[in-house]
Amino acid sequence: MTDAFWRRFIFPGGLWLLFFFVVPIGIAVLISLGENNEFGGVTYGWHSEHYGDALDPLFAPVLLRSVGYAAATAAICLLIGYPVAYCIARYGGRRRNLLIGLIMAPFLINYLVRTYAWVALLADEGLVNSVITDSGITSDPVQFLNTPWAVVGGLVYGYLGFMILPIYASLERMNPALIEAGKDLYGTPRQTFWHVTWPQTLPGVLAGTVLVFLPAVGDFVSAQLLGGPDTYMVGNLIQQQFFGADNWPFGAALTICLMVFLGLFVFLYLRATGRREALA
Amino acid sequence: MSVAAERPVEASAPRTARRRAPRPHDRPRTLWVITGIVYAFLFAPIFVVILFSFNSARSLQTFEGFSLRWYEEFFADETLRESLFTSLQIAAITTVVATVLGTTLALGMSRSRSRASGFAGLLLLIPLVTPEIVAGVSAFVLFAQLGIALSVTTIVLAHITFSISYVCVVVRGRLASMGTQIEEAALDLGATPLQAVRLVTLPALWPAILAAAMLVFVLSFDDFVLSFFTTGESPQPLPVRIYSALRFGISPTINAIGTLMLVVSAAIIALAIGLPRLLGRRESGVAVLTGRSTG
Repeated sequence: MTDAFWRRFIFPGGLWLLFFFVVPIGIAVLISLGENNEFGGVTYGWHSEHYGDALDPLFAPVLLRSVGYAAATAAICLLIGYPVAYCIARYGGRRRNLLIGLIMAPFLINYLVRTYAWVALLADEGLVNSVITDSGITSDPVQFLNTPWAVVGGLVYGYLGFMILPIYASLERMNPALIEAGKDLYGTPRQTFWHVTWPQTLPGVLAGTVLVFLPAVGDFVSAQLLGGPDTYMVGNLIQQQFFGADNWPFGAALTICLMVFLGLFVFLYLRATGRREALA
Repeated sequence: MSVAAERPVEASAPRTARRRAPRPHDRPRTLWVITGIVYAFLFAPIFVVILFSFNSARSLQTFEGFSLRWYEEFFADETLRESLFTSLQIAAITTVVATVLGTTLALGMSRSRSRASGFAGLLLLIPLVTPEIVAGVSAFVLFAQLGIALSVTTIVLAHITFSISYVCVVVRGRLASMGTQIEEAALDLGATPLQAVRLVTLPALWPAILAAAMLVFVLSFDDFVLSFFTTGESPQPLPVRIYSALRFGISPTINAIGTLMLVVSAAIIALAIGLPRLLGRRESGVAVLTGRSTG
């Protein structure tokens, strides 16, 4: 079949994406350079101060905090997700499919509802605290909510599956004979893991960290429900500019900053690790 | 010569014996403990949500007894009922349109070598690597600048945009593994290109298309961020209602809503697993998604 025949298939979806994704980003750039007018709208112009505001000492900590929380989230997800993926892939036996399916099951409960369930569990008079105080570990309830720990915990809870699945997939794809070979070459279990298994699953690890880090940076639900103003992330700040503060240019500038930062991050991260195909 | 050199190693008796002996790391107790703790972490909140949706008392701390009162309260509330319907409607329309657009795009991209194909590949990558809030803000400013009032329609448009990429990725994976031989065979047998697509390619793609559709429905039905940025005053989809409920005082009805949404999503997944079996196919949509498809 000719190329011209197939090319026609690209246009409906391609044009849709062009109009509803690329054009809006262009509009967001224009708005970020405009300024608020007295009618509650935006006058286009060339005002770069909104980008200056984003890096202002008042707001820069919010950006740094978002990146920090997201990085911590990705690290924790990797730390606890890898052993789980490894355990299921190597020792899950016939129940592998069920076990990996169960990992995804919590995703069927709405993100807001399951994050809120943590509020009920972690509140001062919540279940976790009643267990802690009843067992006499501490006499006073531990404050979990409104701490960075709670926000990062909520993010880990929200995105852990995105780490486990790609790692599991790369472990599945790996030939188990390689591990046997490593042992036959007198590698200790530890050596075999670091020299054989880990390099083989690196694509999964890379995909997982990107898949967790990206949405975590832009998340605002976890910080909104489990944290407080001291733990607000860039997502909360953006959301406020559009609903409440009505400062669209600043909100748009923050969004563009976030996008450029993440684009650069993905590009550099994948280039540094030499795996551009990891996302595809 | 080399065979002779290898033989002593192969025949080495102590090594064969060692292979049969149980080794400590074959009983990975620590690994299973970690896995168990992670599962507990994942399921604790789900358990709380489902359990307390049946609580007869208002409390979110103590379970007093079984009752359906929060479900009754949900169905007695006209706004919430309307929201459930709206969410289902949004997910259904999004699924149909995004599946059609994503599948045609995937067909074009994997079979055409033109520059348009490479460009579309780049376009597809953007939604996959941007956080949802960026998509939400872009959709919001687009509709504002075009003067389109926010409504269910704007939510659907935003959801479709985001979902095309997912459909395309899933279907392209399948197309890549299929190869073009069967299409070429159809052409050799006198089919027109369109007939070849309709009678040969699409039927072979069916499990992947179903898997993609299921994924889109569940994601759209559950979506909060995009809906939040593109919703009008009324009717609003369920997750947006949940958000306002969480901000303005909380009632255990939230748990009933969460459980109901779980049931809807689970039903859709069951459908994606069950439908191909009913129609006599060996592989389900879920098998395609998890990469366990047979080919």
